[in-house]
Order: sequence, then C-alpha cells, then structure tokens
Amino acid sequence: MTALVERTGGALAEAARDARSAWTRRHTAAAALVALAALVPAIAPSWVHVDSVANGFYLALAATGLWLTVALGGMPSLGQGAFMAIGAFTVALLTARAGWPALPATLVAVAAAAAGGVLAGAGVVRLRPVFIAVTTWILTWAVTIFLLAFRSVSGGAQGLVLPSGISVTTHYELGLALLVAAVLVAASLARGGPGIELRAARQVPAAAAALGVPTARRRLGAFVASAAIGGLAGGLAVQLAGVADASEYGAYLSFKLFVAVLLGGVASALGPSAGIAGLALVTGAAGVLGSLEGVESARFDPMLAALLLLAVLALGGEGIVPLVRRLVGRDAERPVRRAPTVVSVPAERRPGTKPPILVADSLTKRFGSLVAADSVSLELVAGEVCALIGPNGSGKTTMLRLLAGVYRPDGGRVLVDGADLGDAPPRERAARGVVRTLQTSAAFGDLTALENLLVGMGLRREHGGAFRTAFATPLAREEDERLRADARSLLADVGLGWAADVRAGELAGPEQRLVAVAAALAAGPRVLLLDEPSAGSSLDDVSRLDALLSRLRVQGMSILLVEHNLRLVRSVADRVIVMAAGAVIATGTPADVAGDADVRAAYLGRAAL
Amino acid sequence: MKRTALLLAVLALAGCGGGDKKSAGKLVIAVDAPFSRSQYIGQTIARGAELAASEVNVGGIPTPDGNYTIEVKRYDNALSPRKALSNIRRAISDGAVAIVDDGTGVDAGWQAANEAHVPIGITYDGGGGLVDLEKRPNVYRIAPTNRGIAFRLAEYTIPKGLKLALIHDDTTYGQQGGASLDEAFSRNPGSVATKLTVPAGDSDLSPQVLRARRAGATALLVWGQASTIAKVVIAARSAGWNVPIYATPSAEDPVLRQQLADRPQWLDGLTFATGRMTAELGPDFFYAFESKFENAYGVQNVGVRTRGGDAVIAPPDYAMYSYDFVNVLTQALKQFGVKDVVKGLEQVTARGANGDERGFNQHNHDGVVDDDVFFARFHDMTYAPVADDPLSSTLPTIKQTR
Repeated sequence: MTALVERTGGALAEAARDARSAWTRRHTAAAALVALAALVPAIAPSWVHVDSVANGFYLALAATGLWLTVALGGMPSLGQGAFMAIGAFTVALLTARAGWPALPATLVAVAAAAAGGVLAGAGVVRLRPVFIAVTTWILTWAVTIFLLAFRSVSGGAQGLVLPSGISVTTHYELGLALLVAAVLVAASLARGGPGIELRAARQVPAAAAALGVPTARRRLGAFVASAAIGGLAGGLAVQLAGVADASEYGAYLSFKLFVAVLLGGVASALGPSAGIAGLALVTGAAGVLGSLEGVESARFDPMLAALLLLAVLALGGEGIVPLVRRLVGRDAERPVRRAPTVVSVPAERRPGTKPPILVADSLTKRFGSLVAADSVSLELVAGEVCALIGPNGSGKTTMLRLLAGVYRPDGGRVLVDGADLGDAPPRERAARGVVRTLQTSAAFGDLTALENLLVGMGLRREHGGAFRTAFATPLAREEDERLRADARSLLADVGLGWAADVRAGELAGPEQRLVAVAAALAAGPRVLLLDEPSAGSSLDDVSRLDALLSRLRVQGMSILLVEHNLRLVRSVADRVIVMAAGAVIATGTPADVAGDADVRAAYLGRAAL
Repeated sequence: MKRTALLLAVLALAGCGGGDKKSAGKLVIAVDAPFSRSQYIGQTIARGAELAASEVNVGGIPTPDGNYTIEVKRYDNALSPRKALSNIRRAISDGAVAIVDDGTGVDAGWQAANEAHVPIGITYDGGGGLVDLEKRPNVYRIAPTNRGIAFRLAEYTIPKGLKLALIHDDTTYGQQGGASLDEAFSRNPGSVATKLTVPAGDSDLSPQVLRARRAGATALLVWGQASTIAKVVIAARSAGWNVPIYATPSAEDPVLRQQLADRPQWLDGLTFATGRMTAELGPDFFYAFESKFENAYGVQNVGVRTRGGDAVIAPPDYAMYSYDFVNVLTQALKQFGVKDVVKGLEQVTARGANGDERGFNQHNHDGVVDDDVFFARFHDMTYAPVADDPLSSTLPTIKQTR
C-alpha cells in the first residue's frame, strides 16, 4: 500500500514537472480564464443566471462526449440525447422513487448509459456514416417514445420531481470542473495513439486495419465513452433542474448537441464547448429579436440550429475554434518544403537462401464465375524483394488482399514462419509482421505525416490504452514521446523529416505514398506488401523509392511488390512473378522473365523489363 | 491589474442587488405559461393577468408595507415542467410576489415557491393532485377541475339511460381526464359500454369509433384535445352514426370549429361541459369584462362564420380566470402585505369577471366549484347553454358573433 502511494506520488510529481516544462503563456491564459469562470457565481450580477450557465456546462460536457464519436470516430451520431435521457431518468427514478443518494445514483446512471452505448454501439460502429446517423436518430426517437408512452416511468406531463440536492453554485463549479477535465481528456485522447488511430480509421478504414488498428474496437470504445459521458451529463443536469421531464429529451436535444459539435469545429476538443456557447448566444439574440415581435424564441430554436448547421457546412465545415485559431494566426506557420533527400544505400542483392517467412500455398479466390486467383503459390524469404507483375485484372491485388487477410481464400492457405494464419484478420496479420499498403489510398490525409506513422506504431504501444492515454499516465507519456521520436527519425530516413507536422493531404501524391510506406514500416513488419507504391511518381521519386526498398532489403525485410513500373522492378526485384488471368505464368529473375515468350505475349508486349 | 481588481469589485457590488421583492414600488407577478407551444392558452392567461394589473395600477395597491403597482412578467414554459421549475426559480429571484400558472410543472415548482412564500395560481389545468391544501399550502386554482367536469358529465348523462363509450386521447390532458371519468362513472358501470384510449396523433379514428359502435355504445363522451374531438365527430358522422357526442372544455377551442368548417351540421348538437361565464347576476359583468378585454387586445376570431355569414368570435372565458386570480391576489396584498400573501389569499374575496365572488378559504384552494360547470351545445358554429340541465337552463347565451 505504501509502495503504491509512493509510486502514485512520484508519478504525480513527474506529471507536474512535465506540465511545468511544457507550460506556455497560452496555458497561463487558459488557466486564468477557468479561474475567472469559477468565480462567476460569487461576482456575477443578478442578470447572469448561474443555473443556466451550469446547465450549459452539462450540455457542453455531453457535446464533448459526442465529439469523441463524431470527430475522432467519424460516426455522425444523432443519439447523444438518448444517453442523456438514460442518465437523467436513471438518477430521477433512483433518487425520487427508490430514495437513493445522488452520488451512487449518478454512478449507476453512467453505467446504464454506458451499457446502452455498448448495446447500440455493437450494432452501429460497423455501419457506414449515413446508416449510423439514421440508426442513432431512431434510437433517440425510441427512447423519447418510450418515455412518453410509459408515464409511470417518466412522470407524465409533470415529470419526475427529484429531492433537493446540491446547490446551484455547487452544480456550477462541478459542471465547470467536469467540462475542463473532459476537454483535457478528449484532447489527450485525440493527440494520443487511440485518437490518432480512430481518426485514421475514420478516413480509410481498410488502410488503418492493414496497419493493425483494431477499428471496430476503437470505434466501439469511443461510442461507449461518449454514451457514458452523455449519461453523466444527463444525470447531473437533471439534478440541477430538479425535475426529469421527458419532453426535454426529444430528437431536438440530440440534433442540438450534434450541431454544437460541428459549429464549434471537429478539429478541436474545445469545439463542442464553443458550439454550445455559440448556440446559446444565437438563441439569446433571437430571444431579443423575438420579443420585439412578441414571438417566443423557443418557437424557432430548432430552425436556428438547422440554419447554423447549414452555415457551417456551407463555409466548409470548419467551425468556430479552427476559424478563431486561423484568425489569430496560430496555424499560419507553415514548414518549408525541402528538396527530397534520396537515401543512398548500396543495392546489395542477397537472393533468398533462408527458410521462407511467408508462404502462400495454392491460394484460390473466386468471385462468382471469375477466378481472380487460381491456386497461386509463392514464398518470401528474409531480405528479398519479390515483384508481382501482370496486366490489369490479372489478380495481383487480389493476392495481396488474400495475404493480408482482407479476403478469405476459397482454397489454399497462408503461413508465416510455418504457422497457418487461417482466417486471421488484417490486424492480427499485421501483429505477426505482415503489413500491406493500399493501392488507391496513399496516406491518411487529415493526419500529419508524423501521425500517419504513429498509426503504424500502434502495434508497438504497450501502455497506450485509452484510459492511460486519456489520463496521460507517466508510462503512456514516456512511451508516446519515444514513439514520436522514432516516427520523426523514420520520416527523416525517407526524406520527409521536414513534413512531420504537415497534413498528409497537403503533400504531393508521391510524398503521400512515401508517407504510407513509412507508416507501414512504422508497424515494424517483416513482410511488406506494397501495392503500386510508385504510381504517379516522377523519376526522382522512383529513385528515392528504389533506394528505400533496396535499403529495406539489406536490412532483411521481405517485400512483395505489386508494380507496373518495370524500371523499378528491374532495379529492385530479386525475383519476379508474372500473373495473368489469376494464374502464375512465369517466375524467375528479372532477366529470366524478360526473355519469356509467354510473358511477352501476355503482358510485356513491346515493353522491356 | 488594478483595472481588473476594480472590475471585479464593481461586479461584486452589482451582484448584491438581486432578490428583493420590492423594486421601486413595483410588485412583480410572473405568468408562467406555454407561450411558445400553445400560444392561444399562453396569451389568454397572460392577457387576463395584464388586464387586471392595468386596472389595479390606476390606483395602486396600498399595503401595510407601502403603495405598489403591479408589473406582469411573462415566462415561457413551453409545456415543459423543467422549464416551468426554472421559470419559478427565476421569477422568485426576480422578486415575484405571485405566479400565475397554466399548471405545467407545479408538481416540481410549488416547493421552491412555498419556501419563498410565493403563491401559485393555476388558471387552466384542472388536473387532480395539483391543488392540495395539506401538502401544497401555496397552490391555488381558479379553473374548472377535471373532477368537477367529470362528475357533472356523469350527473348529466347517466339519467338519460345512455350507454357511453368513454374515449380519451393519449395526451396528458386526455389521460388525466380519462382517470377522472373512471372515477366519476365508477358507481354506474352499467352506463359505460366501453373505454377507449385513442392516439392524438392519428389522422383517422374510424377504427376506434367503430369499436365503440360494436360495443353497443349509444353515445360518445370524448376527453381530449380539440383535434381529437373533431376526429371522433368526423369518424362517427361520416359513418352515418348520429349518436349524441359529449365533450370537455377543449371543445371551445377554435380548432374544433375550424376542422369542421366544411360540415357545420356535423358539429350541431355536440354538447360540452365548461366553466360558466355568467353568475346569478346575469351576463352584464361578463360583457363588461369582454368589452375591456376587446378594447385592450381586440376580438378573438374563431376563423369560421355562421350560416348567415356572421364572423364567430371566442369569448375570453379562460382569460377571466387569470384576471380573477390577480384581483383576489390584490385584495390579499392590500390586507396582508407581501410577506403574508400566501395565507392572506385564504381570507379574501374579489368580484370576479362573471360577477361571482371569487376567493378561497382554509378548507378549499379551488376557486371554481363543481356547480360552476355548465353544459353548452353547438348550433351553427356557436354554442348556448342546454335546456335539460337545471343549472345550464338558467344561464343566458353569450353573444358570439360580430
């Protein structure tokens, strides 16, 4: 016990040291703002309604939870109001009917909302965004209809009246503290491994899975965390209100929270709070205008929210926080693009004489009557670059997908180090050292180049779970710093050190493909499956890729290269396998294959290898 | 730094000013009503209170604490108990001496008001349990009670030997009314052919009305929103089923007549129970009130015409209740002052808009007794008291055309 206390104390002291070293003027300003906000109940004039502000904090808390799902997970959930309702009515029923104290009732409410999140999330996280929106919208309606139909649960038109609890001022301070904590945790998650992986999975799920990201698990985690935070916010807000009112948890609440996230800006964890504040300001202004016409603003609240959403979308979906940051120039500093650094490595060829790492044994894949891969076998040994070439539709990419576990073969098997991989999914294969890059999607465009590599490094994280990352434990921080340093070093190795903090989407196409290769390398593969990495590249770019692949081979990596650039193939490949119509028609050294009459007829034509 | 300190000091001083009930000789009366969700109800309640306040302010209110005028402040509860509770708290912090309420959120808000010694006057919702002398000493009501309406309906229909289909919709109003009807008819189950709950949102209630017919009903009694009553009438009459139809005060709502404007003959004969607009002293008091109301706010057009082409108007009968509550409150303030107004309300009366003495006592916080419920029957888009009820037959018909 003493040791635990000492360890915790040490960790806290270390965290404090880290915080001090990273402290900037901006942090001082933010801390001062929070401190000033905490004083509001004591110093605010009478026209400031502390209870409304406290309720705003709880709404912002729920919206921050939703941000995890929408911004990080890329799931447009319209169901956060339902989780607030679950939290609210759990607290109301336990305190008003069962006489429970507020604290345990609130904890049960969080658990109930999380359980609801698990049930709903298990079904929705694998859906496409539009279906996620529809499904969660139906969930919101289902909860609303349930509450309105079962008046014994919801208390009917008069609601469920809660026993009096903590004061409005205490709610205010609690709401503020929880909101600050939620924003910090959300920001920490977004910056850490789980957040980066979620953002990657949001953009190109297949590429993320190929790099070993447990896409469904991460998304479910975000959904459940979001639901739990919604339940907490609902449970506390209902205590502040003093009455649980089913009509408050209709579809408009979910819509409003969703709008708040988009209005504030999905790029920042502060966005939802800014969005709630923005909605409150607009509603207040509408109230003043409405009073001039004798119309209650509540009559057109939903319309205002919808108009704000349209405005945000029409302006590019940026939102308040990113807009403010741009205006104050925080994002203005751009790195200087440097001339590509071609890494020069002696292209020593070491033909495979060792036992194979990867074996494809008679792999067959059919799509209806089409045989995309017809009993194809191949082997890869350490330090070998094997090129897979052939005309379009010959089955090259199908083979890569079979090897990476994207497709289940109709026949044959894949072995790594002699062990049959069976139906192991891409993540599991990546963990065993078989990593693939995609043909069409180069890199995760919304992530920086560095973050792209951190996605690949996810498999190396031992202390990078969501909880440790959210609370920035010493081990998680230490590991994250180490991985970031490794990622920078790897980026420098491929000549993109200057682009570490540049969004990959802003890089040129060949640079993006290089980032994708580097991300795959970051996963620490023994077998690298590359799908047309030189597509659209200039001669310089191809030379750079050539040098990189040659160096990897020297380092002992096995590479299966699907490629149309025959110059690159001839330069880098130890062995070439030629496919046509799903079958292997030739195999051998580049020179052997170049002289093969069948290959010339089926693929090369006038081209020379 | 100095500037910041000065600003904080100013803000702190400004924060010390709230919560005083007396504000420059003005007493605040809060009207908590669903202005955004049921504008007609909200406006009716607020206008009644504002009309009374404008009359009181001519001479002011001499109280033991000084002379005051009344300021009426509106708070929109949007039919939400959460907003209603928030409004009640806000009204108290704004220094309200009383709250005029449609009834929304009284379950949640009476306690906060009671702790601040602020009475709540319900002027619309007749739901059971809202007024409770023992548990809610600060809650009063001037509006027909559901219980009173249900018992009067039972008293009126049972002697006719009818077999009634008791129909209520699934709104709170309908559900509460259904419970009151159950209680009222519990001693005469033989008068009830069937009980049905119908969805307020359905566009066609023909299946439910057919079920009532097959159950052997010889009359329909509908407790629900005006649109529900209209749908029941349409379903029965379009099927050629010309049974008597009885309804509740919501039948007065212009919506019913608007929805039946194309077939006014289907509305003819529909009988409903509501609070009476006139007392034993005749209709002059109500006409005087109606005249003042129209001078202040204009006539309330129903939006339909009689067969003769006259525009039909709605008498401001529900505005009468909030008007009366403010007048009773004024008497209590005059005699007992702000601090004792909750108990003071039990000991005063005032002349109501219909000429009745309005007031409460230690044994009753409901200002409209069961005898104040009468029956009216529609004919040619207007309604008149029925002749086959002892109370109703004595009442004059209020003019409803212009």
